[in-house]
Amino acid sequence: MDAATPAALSDATLPPARTFGPPLLSVDNISLSFGGVKALTNISFNILEHEIRAIIGPNGAGKTSMLNVINGFYHPQEGTITWQGKVRKQMRPHQAAVQGIARTFQNVALFKGMSTLDNIMTGRLLKMHNVRAPETGVFGLDHLLRYGSAALDFALQCLYWGPNLKEEIRQREFCEQIIDFLEIQTIRKTPVGKLPYGLQKRVELARALAMEPKLLLLDEPMAGMNVEEKEDMCRFILDVNDEFGTTIALIEHDMGVVMDISDRVVVLDYGRKLADGSPDEVRADQGVIDAYLGVAH
Amino acid sequence: MMQSKRIAFWSVAPLVAFVLIGFLLQWMASQGIGFFDWWFFSEVAATGLLVGVRYSLVALGFVLIFKASGVFNFAQGSMVLFAALTFVGLLGFGVPIWLSFPITLVVMWLLAVVIERVVLRPLVNQEHIILFMATIGVFYLLEGGGQLMWGSQVQTLDIGLPHGRIQLFGGNIQLQEFEIVTAGIAGLLVAVLAVFFNKTRVGRALRAVADDHQAALSVGIPLKAIWVIVWTVAGVVALVAGITWGTDLGVQPTLSLVALKALPVLILGGFTSIPGAIIGGLIIGCGEQVGEVFFGSLVGGAIQDWFAYMLALVFLLFRPQGLFGERIIERV
Amino acid sequence: MSATAGLDTFPKYLRHHAQVHAQHPAIREKDLGIWQGWSWQEVQGEVRALAAGLAELGLTRGDRIVIVGDNRPQLYWTMVAAQAIGAIPVPVYQDSVAREMAYVIEHAGARFAVAEDQEQVDKLLEIKTTVPALECIIYSNARGLRHYTQPFLLAFATVGERGRAKLKADPAWYDREVDQGQGADTSIMLYTSGTTGTPKGVVLTFDNIIKTAQAGIDFDHLTIDEEVLAYLPMAWVGDHTFSFAQSYIVGFCVSCPESGATVMQDLRELGPSYFFAPPRIFENILTTVMIRMEDASRLKRRMFKYFLELARQVGGKILDRKPVSASQRLLYKLGELLVFAPLKNTLGFSRIRLAYTAGEAIGPEIFEFYRSLGVNLKQLYGSTEASVYITMQPDGEIRSDSVGRPAPGVEVKLSDSGEVLFRSPGVFKEYYKNPTATAETKTADGWVMTGDAGFITPEGQLRIIDRAKDVGRLTDGSLFPPKYIENKLKFFPNIKEVVAFGDGRDYVAVIINIDLQAVGSWAERNNVSYSSYQELAANPKVADIIQGHIEQVNRDLAGDPQLASTQVQRFLILHKELDADDGELTRTRKVRRRIIFDKYKTLIEALYDGCSTVHIETELTFEDGRRGLLKADIAVCGAKTFPAKGTAAPLPQAAE
Repeated sequence: MDAATPAALSDATLPPARTFGPPLLSVDNISLSFGGVKALTNISFNILEHEIRAIIGPNGAGKTSMLNVINGFYHPQEGTITWQGKVRKQMRPHQAAVQGIARTFQNVALFKGMSTLDNIMTGRLLKMHNVRAPETGVFGLDHLLRYGSAALDFALQCLYWGPNLKEEIRQREFCEQIIDFLEIQTIRKTPVGKLPYGLQKRVELARALAMEPKLLLLDEPMAGMNVEEKEDMCRFILDVNDEFGTTIALIEHDMGVVMDISDRVVVLDYGRKLADGSPDEVRADQGVIDAYLGVAH
Repeated sequence: MMQSKRIAFWSVAPLVAFVLIGFLLQWMASQGIGFFDWWFFSEVAATGLLVGVRYSLVALGFVLIFKASGVFNFAQGSMVLFAALTFVGLLGFGVPIWLSFPITLVVMWLLAVVIERVVLRPLVNQEHIILFMATIGVFYLLEGGGQLMWGSQVQTLDIGLPHGRIQLFGGNIQLQEFEIVTAGIAGLLVAVLAVFFNKTRVGRALRAVADDHQAALSVGIPLKAIWVIVWTVAGVVALVAGITWGTDLGVQPTLSLVALKALPVLILGGFTSIPGAIIGGLIIGCGEQVGEVFFGSLVGGAIQDWFAYMLALVFLLFRPQGLFGERIIERV
Repeated sequence: MSATAGLDTFPKYLRHHAQVHAQHPAIREKDLGIWQGWSWQEVQGEVRALAAGLAELGLTRGDRIVIVGDNRPQLYWTMVAAQAIGAIPVPVYQDSVAREMAYVIEHAGARFAVAEDQEQVDKLLEIKTTVPALECIIYSNARGLRHYTQPFLLAFATVGERGRAKLKADPAWYDREVDQGQGADTSIMLYTSGTTGTPKGVVLTFDNIIKTAQAGIDFDHLTIDEEVLAYLPMAWVGDHTFSFAQSYIVGFCVSCPESGATVMQDLRELGPSYFFAPPRIFENILTTVMIRMEDASRLKRRMFKYFLELARQVGGKILDRKPVSASQRLLYKLGELLVFAPLKNTLGFSRIRLAYTAGEAIGPEIFEFYRSLGVNLKQLYGSTEASVYITMQPDGEIRSDSVGRPAPGVEVKLSDSGEVLFRSPGVFKEYYKNPTATAETKTADGWVMTGDAGFITPEGQLRIIDRAKDVGRLTDGSLFPPKYIENKLKFFPNIKEVVAFGDGRDYVAVIINIDLQAVGSWAERNNVSYSSYQELAANPKVADIIQGHIEQVNRDLAGDPQLASTQVQRFLILHKELDADDGELTRTRKVRRRIIFDKYKTLIEALYDGCSTVHIETELTFEDGRRGLLKADIAVCGAKTFPAKGTAAPLPQAAE
């Protein structure tokens, strides 16, 4: 983007040493299998607040499965997941979203017929009052009340008037800040199905950010991008982490990228944990070198 | 931009079509085929439009569910019947209208909840065709269940809609008051739904679910709650359709067959478009009436029975996505 | 008019509008998807605080202050704020690399710099290590600067806060400062991008700019209700006149786009009434329209073609109020309804009253296209040294091949060698710290040499053919105006850039850059696959297309007796795009001839030694600043020439 090299900047411009909070999420002894085929075996690691955590491994190592476990798409047969110090019971993806876990997908899961702005606005659904999802699947009085108030809210929404309009404007403002942040003003009104792949990935990130997540899961955010797009994406990931303090867990294939931007790396291979530590430690681990880094890439 | 162009087109095109067909008929009359009078022609067209609004209403129920869940709800017709039967049945018990309407609404909501729990949830992530088959099951259940509860004899439905005729343009055009009122109600409902779908956040959630289930889940949209909402809304639409059609035809098992008329409307308008359902309904309602009255004698009558399907066939040949259907955007 | 008497500086104009047109919008900016506006009164408040804040920081009368960034209200305010306290704003092209920027900052001796965002701040920080005179950097957009803790780095808002505190103690301070300013003071220093050598700082006084801008206002009857989009570089004299000076004199509102990438969308939303763009932009807009029409339905395409053809025949005449038959007028009205109005709406030209193009020759087809749609597009000829206006086209005398009559108050004459000279109230004071260059350009009696060769047409308009020093001769003695030939070729949408050779040679040959957008679209439609510019440029089918274009130009040239011998005989398509980062183009995207001569010597020789391919290795700079080596084998092709028509007459010389 700009021509300035970091070396030219004086030390004062470098970010202060990175500090992390307590574990935001930890997985302990997680095992997951599909009809006898083991996808994950006895995996344990944690993600600290404010850190950028990478999950790497060769194809089929179970990286995406791990992400799916974290955000509730899969339910592990064994092990526990602790979220913000509390053991989490089995939950569904939308409940994970309610708790503050947002994610992007390897193959971009956007609402293709909707505009960029509308896509990002869907990320705000949980932040708007009254649309909160029922946390349990049982219908009771609780639900009747909920739907009752929802019906009233409906009516107001249909009139596009009153507190709802204000709410809509407030949310739009928030989305605009994200649009500004990710520099996608030009495509605000474009149906995302028409956008090139690199931009779709960026819109997907924008939608995840709109959820103001505590934990952001990125599934191969740079897959299929050219060098320049990758650099942009790296910058955005670092900026997000820096500006909003968002904790990020990402899966990535491009080793260079992972080592550059992550604080700690966990390496998976055939569903088992191979190594865990800082990029330098991982790079030096003999097991990792044999399984992954040693392979010409 | 696109929007305003479309609005401009759809406000001009019908007028042009009206005038052109008028001239055609006039010319035919001058050749000794049938007879023609501009006032009479207008009256027939207007009657057709009013019937068309009610077609739209039924079609709308299909569109809502199809858009949000990708399921073609075969049971929509029986929902119309079920709603009308419930409503009439409640009236039969002496429940006043103002109370039986909300009670029926609650029944439709309960129905939606049950369908979601019993039919949709177990079949989640199955092929669309399987869900479609399931709705056929629902169709028979509702049809049978409704008649079991409320009987199968023809019941008249009178909620006090006016029955006179209204004179317009110095009596040159006469229309049924009842048809105008029902069209008005239907129109209002359609307008509310259109706003709801396009402008509100629940509407946005519905569109999101229709577009991509996985992504919708990940932004925290509860799929099941959305399905309940959609089926409830479809139930409300069915109730209004049931009341309007029931007043006209009487509440009887064949009421569910009005759903068959909704199929060509859908093909014309596109399965995913609310404006499409509206305009499709109007075109078919109007086309049927005009065809029946002015061309019926040429082909021995009964145009009303097949006109809609023929039009749908033509559309399937030349514009399978319908007038407003979403063209599939695919990057090559 | 008496109300505006005594208004001889922009701060005084601002004070005037803040009283007379207090609530009228002065400037707008699209931010977070919404157009946010400031009235003249609000601008006055901002500028007062800013001026006081800058003074607090130590900016004094006569100091230079560098301004760098996209068009932003804050940066325009900085200009006036600096002027209010007698400092001299020096806007710098926002896309200059640190090295170029360092030269300007050092040459101007600027102690202060105001930057738009992190990108510019990073450059300035890099510069500061080598240019210690730079004391203080102020930024308007804090994004990404959170961890920058240098004490000399200040937020725009902080400066304003300090200023407000100062003003609270002494409210009359600002007015006293403004009153000290006079018309003869230096208003601004604009560094010309310089097709040759290092940039020169053109010093312009308030009198220069205000008198010239006022003449332009009177000429075109500009009012306070104009809408203008400020999107061209602030360092360029055109933007300074159209989006700053004329706005401050007349009081109309100027709008800043959301970002460089959204200009076209913002243009459409805003619908300016007064619009300026170099030919390149008009070309780009037209190319996009044409490409989009290729994808439209057949019915639409036919309708579009039909009405465009009609517009070509009668549109210009209707605009010039010339007689047109009633039926054609009616058809044109229909076209307006069906095609022109929607088209203009998409382009953002639905409210346009007046559009200007300048800087380079514009293709006749492009020029006529806009005029036929009813857009009153005119040409003007100007320069930084003239505070813009030298000649302009009056309504009703619009031509695509000449640039108009001398603007009010301007005298124009031609030297013996055909160079254009002018004298006007807008003539610059001097080149900053460069008396030799000043003396070379400006004569003692005030005539300025433009360096352009041209002649006066029989209609009395000026026609520019080339840079005076670039007009050369072939070995047979015939004249060779390279730019003239290059422009003729560049009018084809497939050709983006051309460099012609021929001075001291036997015949004319050219190096071509294809337009990736236009040729790429052709390739897509014809299933020609390519992965890069280089691959597409090397495709023989592309060479065939270009050859066709060249032969068409040759046919044209053959029809012109003086230029028949300058027909292009050989050409090659360059393997890379000419790029400002590699120094091949100026920042305003003009070809740097001398650099290309040196860099591509082997290619140029190949054009004359009869070989059919040539190997070349070039160093180039990637977008991220890394450098690399590019290797290619390039085909050299020939083109047909045509016999000259008519007898050669001498090139029309200065007909006074």
